Amino acid sequence: MTNSMRLLLASCGTLALASAATADTVRIGITQNNVGIDSYQTTYERAFIEAAEANPNVDVIVLDAGGDVARQISQMQDLIQQNVDAIIIWPTDGQALVPAVRNAHREGIPVIVTNSNIAEAGMEFIAAFSGPNNIQQGIYSAEMMCEALDGEGQIVQITGMPGYTTAIERQQGFDDRLAELCPGVTQLDIQPGDWNRERAQRTMETFLTRFDQIDGVYSGDDNMGVGALNAAIAAGRAEGMVFIGATNFAVGYDAMARGEYWGSVYQSPVDDARAALQTALDVLAGEDVPKLNYFDTPKITQENMHEFDRPVF
Amino acid sequence: MLLARLKAGGPAIAKQGILVAFIVFMITFSLMSDRFLSADNIMSVFRQSAIIGVMALGVTIVVIGGNLDLSVGSMLSFATVLVVDLHDKIGPELAIPVMVLATLCLGAINGFLIGILRLNSLIVTLGMLSAIQGLVLIYSGGQNVDIVDQTGTWFAIFGRGAMFGIATPIIIFLGLALVFHVIMTTMPFGRRVHAVGGNPTASIFSGIPRSRVVFMTYLISALCVAIAAIILGSRVMGSQNNVGLGYELQVLAAVILGGTSLLGGSGSILRTVLGVLMLAFIQNGLILMGQPYYTQWLVTWVVIIVAVWLDVAAKRGRLFSPIA
Repeated sequence: MTNSMRLLLASCGTLALASAATADTVRIGITQNNVGIDSYQTTYERAFIEAAEANPNVDVIVLDAGGDVARQISQMQDLIQQNVDAIIIWPTDGQALVPAVRNAHREGIPVIVTNSNIAEAGMEFIAAFSGPNNIQQGIYSAEMMCEALDGEGQIVQITGMPGYTTAIERQQGFDDRLAELCPGVTQLDIQPGDWNRERAQRTMETFLTRFDQIDGVYSGDDNMGVGALNAAIAAGRAEGMVFIGATNFAVGYDAMARGEYWGSVYQSPVDDARAALQTALDVLAGEDVPKLNYFDTPKITQENMHEFDRPVF
Repeated sequence: MLLARLKAGGPAIAKQGILVAFIVFMITFSLMSDRFLSADNIMSVFRQSAIIGVMALGVTIVVIGGNLDLSVGSMLSFATVLVVDLHDKIGPELAIPVMVLATLCLGAINGFLIGILRLNSLIVTLGMLSAIQGLVLIYSGGQNVDIVDQTGTWFAIFGRGAMFGIATPIIIFLGLALVFHVIMTTMPFGRRVHAVGGNPTASIFSGIPRSRVVFMTYLISALCVAIAAIILGSRVMGSQNNVGLGYELQVLAAVILGGTSLLGGSGSILRTVLGVLMLAFIQNGLILMGQPYYTQWLVTWVVIIVAVWLDVAAKRGRLFSPIA
């Protein structure tokens, strides 16, 4: 290496150091899953941008993968090229994104996973995960079901889209906790509602034909729960039937206010977005951040619902 | 020997492979669940099948005309979001016509690109599937829409009401099927659609306005989607942005199960009705028997493939193709 080249490199290094020292703002890139596909993700994006704008020391690059794994991988590469200080990713696919996350990790860029976690194989490459604890949500729902039925009864369960982590974890949390806490409550059957209210309504109609006695219904989210409620009302059997959901939607909140819906789990996209940004800032500040950061998703029932705002989605 | 019998049975029976399959299937299921053939369950399945059913009627006509329509799924999302959203803003008496007109415009775009510009229908409607979903998201900003006063609106009649003890969705579905059946079997338009789908070149030489006929089939398909959206919106009293996601495949499966040829030129509205009902009864029957969802996916498609095979075999009089 010639002397002049060394000099050049050295000066470049000094320049880089100098710019890093003067700029006290951090640049954070986020690549989201699929904004606009549902109200949750739309509200999340808005809340994220608002939270970033409220902090003068944060510059954000907001990207959206549109549900496309390939696009998200190239967005990860772009963010690495732009040498952002940290990357927040809402994975379109927990497994397929592991190599992209590893690349960022190798380049020394901390990656924060938001909302739904990356596959086990990628855990060593991420700085932290921030999001809801879906197993805990299932546990809460089981506890509410148990309480509402006084430990005795027959219930059915309508799950989300088969294969989705959120659906699997909520069902797992619910099934395990219910068996442990409430052996007197039996699950007659479990069928998917695909996160679709009409599909859930159809599934519930068939349950109503099949079973003469249904005391409670647990649905993987309120959107499906309201579909099940519709079916029970149409069949004239909603009276005394306990409906428990998760991810409290506005329709679920309203049904709760009318006394038709027993309870749900309150998960705010605003809290989700703020928690992701805060986790990224904590990581950049060099704080000792735990690997798994769950934001609080409390139980919401007819009794305590006045403490919560009506969900915006 | 089965082959000989299939042949000996004559064309009348041989062409009803789907009907035979349907009857065999219904008997099997009724033996396994005593609820299956109860009046309540039959009414419930008919009501559930109305949304897919109405859409399948329109798609059957498109397919007989020699084309495909894969855009109906997201078109259903579009129409349902629109009618539900407008319901609370301008009232159902205005929301319905506005939604129908907007949906017909989408059908006209399909019809223009495929009928007039002669573009490939698979490519166009696959593109529209994605484009319309984008349109829905732009319109709604990703928000779910809901009808606030669910019990006070007369809009409820389409999805939740009943006439003469029969649920309205069933009356709409079967009534529309009857009208379309008459159009397709006795009226000049029906013959033209068959001609255009069966042999486009010959139809042009026969002086049939092919472009206009194809254009019309897509308008009919869009109209069916609009009607399905009214039933769906009224039944659910709300809509997600992607409520019709994947419905295009269920619709196409029903049409195929009904024996309508994907090559165009032949098919039947009444057999599509059978296809729709059979799919709905399969899903219902398997849940009644307590089978997990993956059996439904498996059984549904095994039944479709076997039914299509039997149908083809019945038509050519042998189970296997004569060409080695």
